[in-house]
Amino acid sequence: MSATVSSTYRNVGKGLPRRDGEEKVRGLAAYADDIPVPDGWHGWVVRSPVSRGRLKKLNFDPAFDWSRVCVVTPEDIPGENVVDMVGRDMPFIAHDWIQFKGEPIALVAAPTRALAREAASHITPEIEEQPAILTLREVVDQFQRDPKSLHEMVAQTISKGSVEQGFAEADVVVEGEYWSGHQEQLYIEPQGMVAFPEPDGGIFIQGSLQCPYYVAPELIVTLNLPLEKIRVKQTAVGGGFGGKEDFPTLIAGYCALLAMKCGKPVKIIFDRNQDILYTTKRHPSWVRHRTGLKRDGTITAMKVDFLLDGGAYTTLSPVVLYRGILHSTLGYKCPHVYVDGHVYRTNTFPNGAFRGFGAPQAIWALESHMDRCAHKLSMAPEAFRLHNALRLGDTTATGQTIAEAMGTPTVLENTLAHSQFVEKQKRCSRGDPKADCWYGIGLSFFAHGAGFTGDGESRLKAKAALDLEILHDGEPGINIRISSTEMGQGTFTIMPQIAADGLAIPLDRVCCPHPDTKYVPDSGPTVASRTTMIVGSTVFDAARKLKTQLEAYASETFFGGAPTELNNGLFKNTYTSVSLPFERVAKQLIAEKGPQRVYHQFQLPASLKWDQKTFKGDSYPSYSWGCNVAEVEVNPLTLEIKVLRITSTWDIGRVINPVLAKGQVEGGLTQALGYAVMEKMGIKNGVFDANRMQTYVVPTSMDVPEMDIHFVEYPYTHTALGAKGVGEVSMDGLAPSVANAVEAATGVRLTEIPITPEKLWEKLRETASSAI
Amino acid sequence: MSNLDDTEFLEPATLAEALRFMADESTRAVPLAGGTDLMVQWEAGVRPPPSRVLNLKSLPELAELRAEGDTLIIGAGITHAALRRSPLVRKHAPALADAAATVGGAQIQALGTIGGSIGNASPAGDMAPSLLVANARAEVASIHGSRTIPLTQFLVGYRKLDLAADELIIRFHLDALPAEYCEGWRKLGPRAAQAISKVMGSYRGKQEGGKVASFAVALGSVAPTAIRLREVEQWVVGRKLNADTLREAEERASAEVKPIADIRSTAEYRQWVSGRLVRGFLEHLASAG
Repeated sequence: MSATVSSTYRNVGKGLPRRDGEEKVRGLAAYADDIPVPDGWHGWVVRSPVSRGRLKKLNFDPAFDWSRVCVVTPEDIPGENVVDMVGRDMPFIAHDWIQFKGEPIALVAAPTRALAREAASHITPEIEEQPAILTLREVVDQFQRDPKSLHEMVAQTISKGSVEQGFAEADVVVEGEYWSGHQEQLYIEPQGMVAFPEPDGGIFIQGSLQCPYYVAPELIVTLNLPLEKIRVKQTAVGGGFGGKEDFPTLIAGYCALLAMKCGKPVKIIFDRNQDILYTTKRHPSWVRHRTGLKRDGTITAMKVDFLLDGGAYTTLSPVVLYRGILHSTLGYKCPHVYVDGHVYRTNTFPNGAFRGFGAPQAIWALESHMDRCAHKLSMAPEAFRLHNALRLGDTTATGQTIAEAMGTPTVLENTLAHSQFVEKQKRCSRGDPKADCWYGIGLSFFAHGAGFTGDGESRLKAKAALDLEILHDGEPGINIRISSTEMGQGTFTIMPQIAADGLAIPLDRVCCPHPDTKYVPDSGPTVASRTTMIVGSTVFDAARKLKTQLEAYASETFFGGAPTELNNGLFKNTYTSVSLPFERVAKQLIAEKGPQRVYHQFQLPASLKWDQKTFKGDSYPSYSWGCNVAEVEVNPLTLEIKVLRITSTWDIGRVINPVLAKGQVEGGLTQALGYAVMEKMGIKNGVFDANRMQTYVVPTSMDVPEMDIHFVEYPYTHTALGAKGVGEVSMDGLAPSVANAVEAATGVRLTEIPITPEKLWEKLRETASSAI
Repeated sequence: MSNLDDTEFLEPATLAEALRFMADESTRAVPLAGGTDLMVQWEAGVRPPPSRVLNLKSLPELAELRAEGDTLIIGAGITHAALRRSPLVRKHAPALADAAATVGGAQIQALGTIGGSIGNASPAGDMAPSLLVANARAEVASIHGSRTIPLTQFLVGYRKLDLAADELIIRFHLDALPAEYCEGWRKLGPRAAQAISKVMGSYRGKQEGGKVASFAVALGSVAPTAIRLREVEQWVVGRKLNADTLREAEERASAEVKPIADIRSTAEYRQWVSGRLVRGFLEHLASAG
């Protein structure tokens, strides 16, 4: 049943330990706050005390000695006062309208953090306050009454067939609404950045970030500097989860603007409280499903309304919406689909990237709803899914044909078997008032589009370079030059595995240093589960290219032109038994011709067709697949919910490093567990009510259930390596499996995450359950 | 980021010296034992760092832990880690040992003290209910002498104690668990560990001849202070623990608490689950007896 890839690689496919493990365990890794900043100043952001209004003026306390500090207001910005992301609606510093509480209204730097903070407190704005819209509830209310009254940031539809026809053909129509709230990334290391003014008028930015080539180009228009004068270097990063995808441009901009004005290096390191209050979150969502069904379980129509709370400015919301709507029906065949997606503004901190990027919201709704559909037809949840799951040759909502073997429905079948789902279903308590303990088991089945949406990779043109040069140990080797960052997921471990195997040289001859835009080409951002799949394969192809060049040089220089092959670190020619080690040949090459660099650029297969306007075609190059079975226990006395066990199967293509892949899944499931049953963030007085780790509750190791994790390998056929994404798919689908299990345990369905005892109590009371 | 550079640290060697610091307004300071509440409050800006801090950590007078007749004496400086590990506490006040084991995480337990927990006067302080069901008395002292007050009176209100500005909490006196009594502790938090309670509580009781002979129950996070549920306590004594009693006790307990909504839970759930905890305690008593 499971496809296993036989591997002839020496390193790829092996669970090698993390390259950066030792320095991190020993506390030697240098994070943003560890960078020496001689003569540096500290930055502070002055923020709006109101959620919405017109900024009249800033008052500077005349009693304060302003000569000791540096202040940046919009007039000081060398270029345009705009954050140059997907949308260009966000100013770096508010100059007219305030759109959220906490919006920057001025920047301050001073020799000490305390002085910068104090100076900030002597700047008071005069704001003519205006009514604000603060929550998704308000948005949805207005959407249902008068959508035109809302500020729409972006909208997109997907259309296939005719849903009217699909509903006409249906025997049963099932409807449902599903809600999700904000989620905080809660990386261990808060956001931090330092900007050093360069003697040539440029700026050198170092810090905690995922995407050096987002930060640098996005600052061009604001700093009024050419790209080559904006250098961005990544420090060690204590976790990102998308939180360091878009936001670092803002904090880098604050530091750079201050540094350019005061002429000193400027550093801003958020404390935890600032980091939670003033950085991006996962978009809250409201999803309404209407599904037409035949009595035999066949889906005839899927109509979906998909709403996201964008917060105050656009940031990456369009891209999050696209991924969201593309995943809102993904995994099932259906001839008639209509998805209507919108992002609306609320006057709260802009929402942004977070592991899963719209897919967790979509799958939360979809996989809750699929259980509801099965229930309505009195079908078993697994039978309903197996009946409708996409298979080879089927088409998705955008008309993409499943053209190569993938983990559907294998991940589902495999997980059902490992979890003994069918047998355990019989044990479910369904709210039995006589039971001392309520047991439930639930299922979710889903896919995650691998890499950028549509033909995004064609437009990006990811590049990788390999430098053959003398390494730090004085011996020749390879430095991998990519802009992909190590943020805990294993980039610095798997890339050397891939490059070493591409070249057929020893692993210890390959290094992967922190990206620095001065040295690395643009391999794209470290997002969208694309690093292993796209950049990994680009590194592999670059390594093959370099291998050919080295073989040609060895042949010519050492073997009189005889065909020569590099294998296991040794050059051998076809005619003699003489062999030369890689180091010997490489040293001579470097001595003779200097360090060598090879580039490679990623290319999507020409067969991929995507229309960004109509959302028709191949919405992703390929898909990773996952299936979770969650087992839960609910205490009827207190309604506490405990997730006991998660059984899961994953198709992430070829597994490059099974230990790290499993680590990604365990981490993703744990983050998803928090999303499902714990992590709760409301808006109070215009700002997040959970603003510290004391109030924003995430799982500890004591909450983590037993995890039984399996992989089935269906390699992506258009790259030599065949890897697909693992980073996000594990975050995508746990919440609905828990909701489905809680329904099996208690007899009631919860349609808003996180699922808490409080909500369960309300629901049981509504249904007048005799159990409580 | 807290800035303690301007804070003066006073390091008394004896209790008498500490009380002298507290007596004079010019040297009076914020008493600090483990600092697990105070450091967080200063760090988060809940309150500014004080100008003076009085370190209680090394005072031998606060480190007592002994049984004296029917009384268990616990110095205010005893840490949660010491409480959970002490065979003496396990024997004479098991619900207190259980409660100590659920406070914060291992690091908090190693530093935090019972005196600090009560001194912080939070309704969510996990130590109070187990002390309350053991009829604990707080002993406080100033240079003018010491006095001993029942904990029910010592806990005056939200963040308020019957403690004068010049007084320090010295120790607690508990009724040791009598033979044939049993105790229980239950904490509901938003996660399995390192959690601040939504609702928590303790009971101490005895069954005799199939009926409740004695029952004390206290809950926290359901009122401005941890409270004893006197009405349900009195109502249940003398009754058989059958289904009707359990149901009515649950309803009465629920009616006796006045919880609020906050970030951790809703008022309605807290009200309901308070009754459920009391029902659970009575079921525990029934099965133990």
